[in-house]
Amino acid sequence: MRPFTYTRAKDATSASQSLANNPNARFLAGGTNLLDLMKEDVERPTSLVDIAELGLSDVKSITSGSNKGGISLGGLGKNTDAANHPLVRQHYPLLTQAILAGASGQIRNMATNGGNLMQRTRCPYFYEVAMPCNKRTPETGCGAKEGINRMHAIFGWSEQCVAVYPSDMAVALAALDAVIHVRNASGQERSIPIADFHRLPGNQPDRDTNLMHGELITSIELPQNRFAEKSYYLKVRDRASYAFALVSVAAALETEGNIIKKARIAMGGVAHKPWRALKAEQALIGKEATEANFRAAANAEMADAKPLSHNAFKVELGNRSIVLALQMALNGGKA
Amino acid sequence: MDATNKVTGTPISRIDGIAKVTGKAPYSMDHPVKNAAHAILFKSTVAAGTIREIDSTAAEKAPGVLAVITHKNAPKLNTKGGLRGGALLQSPDIEFYGQHIGIVVAETFEQARYASRLINVTYDKKEAKIDFEKVASQARLPKDKERADAKRGDVQSALTQATYKVEEVYETPIEHHHPLEPHAAIAEWNGDSVTLYSSAQIVNGAQGAAAATLNLKPEQVRIVSPYIGGGFGSKGGQWANLALAAVAAKHINRPVKLALTRQQMVNSVGMRQHNRQKISLAATSDGKLTALSHETVTHGAIENEFVEPCGDCSKIMYDTPNSLITYRVVPMNLIIPTYTRGPGKSTGSFAMESAIDELAYKLKMDPIAFRLKNEPARDPSNGKPWSSRTTVQCLSEGAKAFGWDKRKAEPRQNEQGNYWIGYGVSAGTYPAHQRPTSAVVKLKRTGDTVTATVELAAADLGTGTYTILTQTAADALGLSVQNVTVKIGDSNLPPAAGSVGSVGAASYANAVNDACEKITQELLSKSGKQFFVRPTASQLMRSEKLTEFQTRVDSKAPESAEEYSAHSFNANFAEVAVNKSTGMIRVNRFLAVTGAGKILNPKTARSQIIGGNVWGIGMALTEESVVDPRWGNFVTRSFADYHVPANLDIGHLDAIFINETDEHVNTLGVKGIGEVGIVGVAAAVANAVFNATGKRVRELPITPDKVL
Ligand SMILES: Cc1cc2nc3c(=O)[nH]c(=O)nc-3n(C[C@H](O)[C@H](O)[C@H](O)COP(=O)(O)OP(=O)(O)OC[C@H]3O[C@@H](n4cnc5c(N)ncnc54)[C@H](O)[C@@H]3O)c2cc1C
Repeated sequence: MRPFTYTRAKDATSASQSLANNPNARFLAGGTNLLDLMKEDVERPTSLVDIAELGLSDVKSITSGSNKGGISLGGLGKNTDAANHPLVRQHYPLLTQAILAGASGQIRNMATNGGNLMQRTRCPYFYEVAMPCNKRTPETGCGAKEGINRMHAIFGWSEQCVAVYPSDMAVALAALDAVIHVRNASGQERSIPIADFHRLPGNQPDRDTNLMHGELITSIELPQNRFAEKSYYLKVRDRASYAFALVSVAAALETEGNIIKKARIAMGGVAHKPWRALKAEQALIGKEATEANFRAAANAEMADAKPLSHNAFKVELGNRSIVLALQMALNGGKA
Repeated sequence: MDATNKVTGTPISRIDGIAKVTGKAPYSMDHPVKNAAHAILFKSTVAAGTIREIDSTAAEKAPGVLAVITHKNAPKLNTKGGLRGGALLQSPDIEFYGQHIGIVVAETFEQARYASRLINVTYDKKEAKIDFEKVASQARLPKDKERADAKRGDVQSALTQATYKVEEVYETPIEHHHPLEPHAAIAEWNGDSVTLYSSAQIVNGAQGAAAATLNLKPEQVRIVSPYIGGGFGSKGGQWANLALAAVAAKHINRPVKLALTRQQMVNSVGMRQHNRQKISLAATSDGKLTALSHETVTHGAIENEFVEPCGDCSKIMYDTPNSLITYRVVPMNLIIPTYTRGPGKSTGSFAMESAIDELAYKLKMDPIAFRLKNEPARDPSNGKPWSSRTTVQCLSEGAKAFGWDKRKAEPRQNEQGNYWIGYGVSAGTYPAHQRPTSAVVKLKRTGDTVTATVELAAADLGTGTYTILTQTAADALGLSVQNVTVKIGDSNLPPAAGSVGSVGAASYANAVNDACEKITQELLSKSGKQFFVRPTASQLMRSEKLTEFQTRVDSKAPESAEEYSAHSFNANFAEVAVNKSTGMIRVNRFLAVTGAGKILNPKTARSQIIGGNVWGIGMALTEESVVDPRWGNFVTRSFADYHVPANLDIGHLDAIFINETDEHVNTLGVKGIGEVGIVGVAAAVANAVFNATGKRVRELPITPDKVL
């Protein structure tokens, strides 16, 4: 690991200012991703600003504004606490399931909600500095596209980068239309809908998100919804826990009788960002909640997939996973 | 207090358990050596070629750096000294990606690692052989005589004539041992002698190889290895890092700590090789095998070969008039493979026991009945009688305990919600040997209390060596376990076999028993008395009023053991649930039934067996090391990518031991249990997956995409 300075921020604004003054400074939250990347020489910050003691960790009901009736998760709250908070368990069980499907108990105890959103890809070419990787070092090429790419993207990839974004939590957030609140060094706040938070790789795969340097994630808002009864997070992986998704699906339904009024489907493990399956959602609105309709919806989405040399299975798996996740959601979300 | 009841064969808890869970048991890097500097290795990023230049200017100026050592300034070492894998910084030649090409030594680990990243290496690259698919056709007969073609009868014509046959290819990928404790050493010189604190499965082997490599005499090297954080074969033979720690310490004239990182482990300390195994079986319509062949193609390193014996189980498991076992190997620019738990047997049994299941299915025979029908009366490979063989009991008792009768013969008949349920069975074996081992027993008496110390350069991989030797000595001397101290893991102690090849328990325990027997005899003759009931050594110490007495024994297997074919045997039973939509597999239940002679401690033995089962389940479902065929690097370098089973992957595990008395194998009747626990496991799981889904996966691991 390269030498760096370490400071403990006292308040959010000064934390952001420390970053604004140094393009190579980083926030340190739980450290479960950043420190690993530093040990591997992938991330090379010259300065770490520890934000662990800023507060910003509560889960609260939102009592005013556009998301009134929803809840707000502190940007620095721990993943474990978010997953287990009674408000989350009761109103957003999809989020609980997604968080608990990720990492391990120990890691979730350290990991923060903001850090989770900002975690970087697990692409092995990104992780090994001797390998080419446009995300890590622009203009060096992509090791994965013609290499080992079983774990990689089938949607939205570019010639520059085929990596997938690894978070489970964010997939549920995408399905729940979460809004990310951030604050910069001048104390200005803005909110970014989750759909616009992460980026597709395009020609700038080194940029994972639309967060500006120095902007601090202060909270994540979840609008009120009626999905709690019928939602499910399905994660398909190479082992039962502690593995990243081959494909994951966050599915949520609101029905009237057997007719689908609203549907939300987001996928993980398939793209450089949580992949909102809008075509599948469209195909479901106003339809009966039947297996045949679920299949048609899944097909509508997966028809656009562009698999790489080793991951063609993700198309069929994605298809089946959407159907299964919808069925589980319809059955009340019990595993 | 003298013991009243025998403790051998009882499930006492590990003697070293408390020390381990309280952090008092020192592993390699924990030994309190003063003033130690820290070293880190740096590695090649090409798979073949020569180093043109190593620019270490910036690194040498980095804070805390004490030295940078490369082939330019490394001392001359003996590359044939017995350390595996080359990479001793003796030349600019590169033979695999990740070969060690230098050492950075600094005041702290972080400084060393930082400086290592400032080093700039340029290469003249050569074309490398890193794609097994491309080079497999060039494989040739191994140099090792033990891997020569073994032929009986005429397999080919038996196959041609048969109506019932299986001819299939089974693939097992590269796997890594990945013990939790990475390979590490502290080197401390004292004049011309060096002490290496480093975990070793064969203490004397490590001593010999390190000494020869460093151009020293064995007595100039001391290996201290009281505890080992796992090895699984990767700490059997030793690797360059051991000698390089000594080189670094000599270079800066200070003790040095050198540990590999997890990521460095993949190309530093061997691996299980990729095996492509073709199995051909033929049988009569009533299920009598008429032909069996097992042909393995694999890879070695550029200079040296290692070929794990995939055909070993196939050689002895079934009675057939025609059989053929062959090996072919091709050099590749990868680190040399090495012994990995159940070498050849675990991988070979996946192929053979899957094929047996496939043929039983074609014959519409129960796979257990099929196996029983082909049970050999003698060892088919050499005609020797079995010292004892428990395959029949393992299969029959296991079938009963597991509820095998509930298995549906046809796949996709057992459905539970969104899951297919399947049952699978396999049989396995592992050879039993006792290797030469010396031991010293020292008795001490204070008042009425007699205590014993047992000393030998044995190894405890976390498997229970301390415990079973304490039990053995306590019984043989007439003491309680509290009054016995076992000292192992130090090359200053009497030389011992290693904890490899499942010879540890048999070699060590028989040596300790022989030493205790000998000391009792010596005390008896010293007393000059005749006894109706033979007193224990402890009683003799008191009756003869001795305060100290000791003896040493050099123990080896009874000569008559050679007349028999001696093996542990097992049967494995797996129940899997396969998700119909996603292909995710869960092993609901696993039962291993083992015949391994006398079980010295059922508790530690059970841990050995279920530990082997877990790795076997990993082999079946999750573990795979993947090489990029362009560069030759492993893309699976950490536990995030190299998937060992997690708790949630493992359902209910059960281990049953057959009550077996083997009078021929050795004095105590002990066979090995360290490896038999992994043998056949992957096949039992794969057979269960077939029984569940009708899908026969012949390429491990069976990940969800392969069963969709
Ligand atoms: C072995 C392993 C397995 C894992 N498996 C999974 C899995 O299956 N699914 C899954 O979803 N995750 C998984 N994870 C990832 C884990 O969820 C993340 O590491 C964790 O969420 C990161 O949170 P952190 O607080 O530790 O972030 P840090 O490591 O502290 O920070 C990560 C990044 O976010 C930035 N950052 C942190 N907080 C803020 C903020 N408030 N505002 C702006 N920027 C910020 C940091 O500067 C840094 O760049 C796994 C991790 C490991 C090590």
